Amino acid sequence: MKIIAKNKTWNYLLFWIGQSLVVAGLITGLITDQWGAIPLALIISGILIIGLWLVGKSRYSSWWGRRSTQASTNALVATVAVLAILGLINFLATRYYFRADLTETQLFTLAPESKQLVQNLQQPVKVWVFDVAQNPQDRELLDNYRQQNPQFQFEFVDPQTRFAVAEKFGVKDYGEVYLQSGNRRQLVQTVNVSDRLSEVKLTNSLQQIVNPTSAKVYFLQGHGERPLDGSENGMSQAVEALGNKNYTTAPLNLAEKSSVPSDANVLVIADPKRGLLDSEVTAVQNYLNRGGNLLLMLDPGTDPKLDNLLSQWGVKLDNRLAVDVSGSVAFGPAVPIVTDYGQHPITKDFGNGISFYRLARPIYTTPVPGVEATPILLTKAYPNTWAESDLQNENLQFDKESDRQGPLTLGVALKRKLPVESPSPSSTATESRMVIIGDSDFATNGSFLQQLNGDVFLNSVSWATQQNQQTLSIRPKESKNRRINLTNLQAGVIGFSSLLVLPLIGFAAAFVLWWLRR
Amino acid sequence: MGVILSNVIAIYRRELQSYFVSPLAYAIAGIFWFLAGLFLVLILMGPDGILTAVAAADLQGQQFGVPVPPIDVPYEFVRAFLDRLGWLLLFVLPILSMGLYAEERKRGTLELLATSPVTNWAVAVGKLLGVLTFFITMVVPLLALEAIALSGSTPAMPPIIPLLGHLALILLAAAILSLGMFISSLTDSTILAAVLTFAVILLLLFIDLVAKNVSGPIGEALGHLSLLKHYNNLIQGIFDTSSLVLFGSYIILGIFLTAQSIDALRFQRQ
Repeated sequence: MKIIAKNKTWNYLLFWIGQSLVVAGLITGLITDQWGAIPLALIISGILIIGLWLVGKSRYSSWWGRRSTQASTNALVATVAVLAILGLINFLATRYYFRADLTETQLFTLAPESKQLVQNLQQPVKVWVFDVAQNPQDRELLDNYRQQNPQFQFEFVDPQTRFAVAEKFGVKDYGEVYLQSGNRRQLVQTVNVSDRLSEVKLTNSLQQIVNPTSAKVYFLQGHGERPLDGSENGMSQAVEALGNKNYTTAPLNLAEKSSVPSDANVLVIADPKRGLLDSEVTAVQNYLNRGGNLLLMLDPGTDPKLDNLLSQWGVKLDNRLAVDVSGSVAFGPAVPIVTDYGQHPITKDFGNGISFYRLARPIYTTPVPGVEATPILLTKAYPNTWAESDLQNENLQFDKESDRQGPLTLGVALKRKLPVESPSPSSTATESRMVIIGDSDFATNGSFLQQLNGDVFLNSVSWATQQNQQTLSIRPKESKNRRINLTNLQAGVIGFSSLLVLPLIGFAAAFVLWWLRR
Repeated sequence: MGVILSNVIAIYRRELQSYFVSPLAYAIAGIFWFLAGLFLVLILMGPDGILTAVAAADLQGQQFGVPVPPIDVPYEFVRAFLDRLGWLLLFVLPILSMGLYAEERKRGTLELLATSPVTNWAVAVGKLLGVLTFFITMVVPLLALEAIALSGSTPAMPPIIPLLGHLALILLAAAILSLGMFISSLTDSTILAAVLTFAVILLLLFIDLVAKNVSGPIGEALGHLSLLKHYNNLIQGIFDTSSLVLFGSYIILGIFLTAQSIDALRFQRQ
């Protein structure tokens, strides 16, 4: 008797220990969200102990032998088993599945470029979507990416509730999508109702963040150009800012080398005091012809001997001085202020910001077939600005004979399509870009950090590298264009039968049957 | 095996016959046809319908010389219609499934079924097939109307996506009916069965929303349970075996649980 009583308490103890272990395991797993060894061990040992308890109980009571117990236990075990089997089958089905996109234009399939890129991801990449609502379409696209590779992750974040995360990314607006890989972050696009997450943009950003190509910028030297050092006329601040943007910079002396290096993304020619040699001009010309890019910063009063080259682009340099007498106390008449930036990728974010150009020359363009020229820096209109030819005279006065009225163009961005018949073997460039600014002072130490001057320089270099364009050419997904043309008869049949005939048949049959049964 | 099959067929025939002489079934069909027809007409030709919207966009494009982005009208139409139909099922199917066992229980014929030599799951399969056949019969006239609408599409639309969409509709209906059948076997009140079924289906449809806010593998697993997600996948034209397996699992689970619950009946009454 005593032994049985002792066993009973022992049994109860077992039961409670088993239960607590299972619960503890479940809670640990749920809280840490990691079903590692500890929670699993707790749960399994708990189940084992409960099993022991069942065995012990069955020895001391006839409860186990009752038929109803047996039946309900059988039912319970069978149900649990079926649930487990179904769960396992579904688990396997999600791991090993066959998926086919039956839409004609493969609307829900990633382009091969995207697939390949995602499949080759070596380190985790995460997409952050900062939006209040989760758009199912965006989610579907991101899910498609993730199915290719578990290294690709995504998370929807409501910037209102998790502003700490939003702050970290510098989110300014709802719908911003960021890509993160390690420490690098990049804005992909801003999604809104009409502009959903696009595969084209996402894959291209992915490409950029995975393979950050470091563009190489060469500064021509040897003709009294602006030095790259920290002197007053130097450009060390500009060079440093380029370095921060992942550009590599190097001086280039074309008298020592016969051609521009093939790894040059941009060649900067900043205010040569003496003209370039013919061979050097030819080297620059060849460089441009194979898809090279040039940033020219030319002060007035010097002749770089580039006129032949520039005339091919329809560019003419003016040797007059741009003056601005709009009354700016801080700068004086020899420092034109620019607040009008036209419409161009270089200057699109500038708004009405200020940049200034001490001792600048205007630039004129004439249309040339194949060259697309966009003015990016425009001074104020006459009588505030004009191009002054007489620099000896103390009194600044507009002279109809020799001067030119504003507004003057101080900077032009040009791009020229490369001729198709001269394919370059090494590069895949299809165009060549050039930015000409009639001043170099704005980018020298001191001026560089003021107002928008530095941004004008950096954006010009960045545009000229041709790297902001989409590197992967993925065609956006479009559905097939198709219409339904219904004849009046068809429309009538559909409307009439669906709203009248069919329901009436149903109700009439119901009524007749009800009548008959009655 | 042959015996079981003939048993299933016998139950199936009995069940089907009862539908075609039941005024309630015809009334449900009438309501279903009216609502589905209303959706069809509104989606296709209504004031906010797809034909009207596309015609307006085309006209605008012509006036301003702006190219209209390509729209696959028949595809959008089938997708939108099947989407609304999926919601309609939510209300119609519980009414179809509520009487499957509850009615038998009320009439006292459930004991006969439970103790008959026909196995419980054969009965369940027969009943499910019967009610599913009735549902398919309700869908067929709609299919004919859709076919008329799609016959006007230029250029012609390949039938694979509408076919897959309707297969998904039938699978969704089978899964819901199967679970409804189990719930119906638990109670002798048809109304309670309908309400419970409605609640359970609503939960299974909306589990996706819950899953979106849960991260990690648990959220993924929950999201996978959602009927709506898989239905939407299929009607969009994405053929996915894991979706088919999920629908199949719900159907089998419903049949199994029904058989278990009838089995339990034998011992409760002892």
